[in-house]
Amino acid sequence: MTELLQVEHLNKRYPGFTLRDVSIRVKPGRIMGLIGKNGAGKSTTLKSILNMVRPESGTVTMLGKDFFQHEKQCKQKIGVVFGGIDFYPLKKLAAITAVTRRFYPDWDQKRYQEYLRQFSLDESKQFRALSNGMKVKYLLALALSHNAQLYLLDEPTSGLDPVSRDEILHIFTRIVKDGKRSILFSTHITSDLDRCADDITYIQNGQVLESADKETFLQSFDHLKMPTDTGPLTLEEIMLRTEGRNLDETAL
Amino acid sequence: MKLLYKELALAAHPTSIVFAFLGCLVVVPAYPYTVIFMFGCLAPYITFLYARETNDAWYTAILPVTKRESVKGKCLLILSIQLFQLSLSIPCVFLRGILQVGNNPVGIDPTVAWYGFGLIIYAVFDLAFFPTYYKNGYKAGKAFVIAAIPMLLLMIGVEGAVHLPVLAWLDSYAPQHLMQQIPILFTGILCYMVLLFLAYRISVKRFERVDL
Repeated sequence: MTELLQVEHLNKRYPGFTLRDVSIRVKPGRIMGLIGKNGAGKSTTLKSILNMVRPESGTVTMLGKDFFQHEKQCKQKIGVVFGGIDFYPLKKLAAITAVTRRFYPDWDQKRYQEYLRQFSLDESKQFRALSNGMKVKYLLALALSHNAQLYLLDEPTSGLDPVSRDEILHIFTRIVKDGKRSILFSTHITSDLDRCADDITYIQNGQVLESADKETFLQSFDHLKMPTDTGPLTLEEIMLRTEGRNLDETAL
Repeated sequence: MKLLYKELALAAHPTSIVFAFLGCLVVVPAYPYTVIFMFGCLAPYITFLYARETNDAWYTAILPVTKRESVKGKCLLILSIQLFQLSLSIPCVFLRGILQVGNNPVGIDPTVAWYGFGLIIYAVFDLAFFPTYYKNGYKAGKAFVIAAIPMLLLMIGVEGAVHLPVLAWLDSYAPQHLMQQIPILFTGILCYMVLLFLAYRISVKRFERVDL
């Protein structure tokens, strides 16, 4: 099976932080969750993949092409969302969409309108008038409307209420159902991954601690189990125990 | 064209578009006309400041656009503003004649030489401004200060030159003087083409190294 995204030995050095030897493979029809605590390197990984930050070394192969050599062509076939960033706050959504759609020959206006309806988005509103959750929904509507094959999403569910999150996760599952498209999304809401992820990559201090299908991933952390644990550990328990804190201590 | 459309629709500050229309100031009697070029240099400053505050670089980065094209879009926008401003001033110069606006006592009149000097001022400003800004992608103020120094010196030089009797032909509409001014216009066109292209090339190299 040919990977839609193959990241090999990505390295990026910042003063005080280093992304070290990050390798990730995303297969078609799969949802991969990227987990790690704040500052672990999730966003830097996504930005390095997209050449938004310049990695010192490493390769990114996207849809069978070297991304750094064929950036423009690759970007035509991907949908990207970075949660928490405000674009053109004074512009109306209609104006932002009018520009965005010109860059995608495969833009699907009908699908875009469907997402607007589904997300209850009003195009006549300014971007700044949207709540954080609605901003993410709008950016998702843009990313999902040009027949992309690969979606790179940074914290796409943060700021969303449980109903909206459920709605988005349902859309994610629907997208990959045809077995041709994939999603890589970073999140710290691990329960989202429990529900929809097929593969998990755990980044700790700029390094990939584990990257595998969910079952193998959960099994690889069996050593963290305590005598009181009866069932498999949840992703949240794995993160808390790996990062050196006990779930019960933080429950307060 | 979609890059320029994106710049005009989303990235350009409305004030910079207003500045593009200030080429019409050549109709105003007794006015230091090189100030018009300053407006054309303020336009990139305001636009880059606005683009920074609206996360324009981030938005552009997620589109099917490379960093090279991102710089190209901005260069096209500024080129359009500056050339539109100069183009708009041409019919206004003829309007001056119709309205019988007298010789400018303040400094240079909008002669052929004035257009040549304007293009040189723009070229020098852009060459300093673009590469300084794209060194880090956010210090628009620093880029403007660095680029404004040669811009102001050139403006003072041009306005002052016509007060020297030996250079009075720069300020004349007499046919023989206009012929003398044509080489300045061609020098300006050449400078603008070469220096803006150089500014673009250096900016691309620098911006490709910038981490967003």
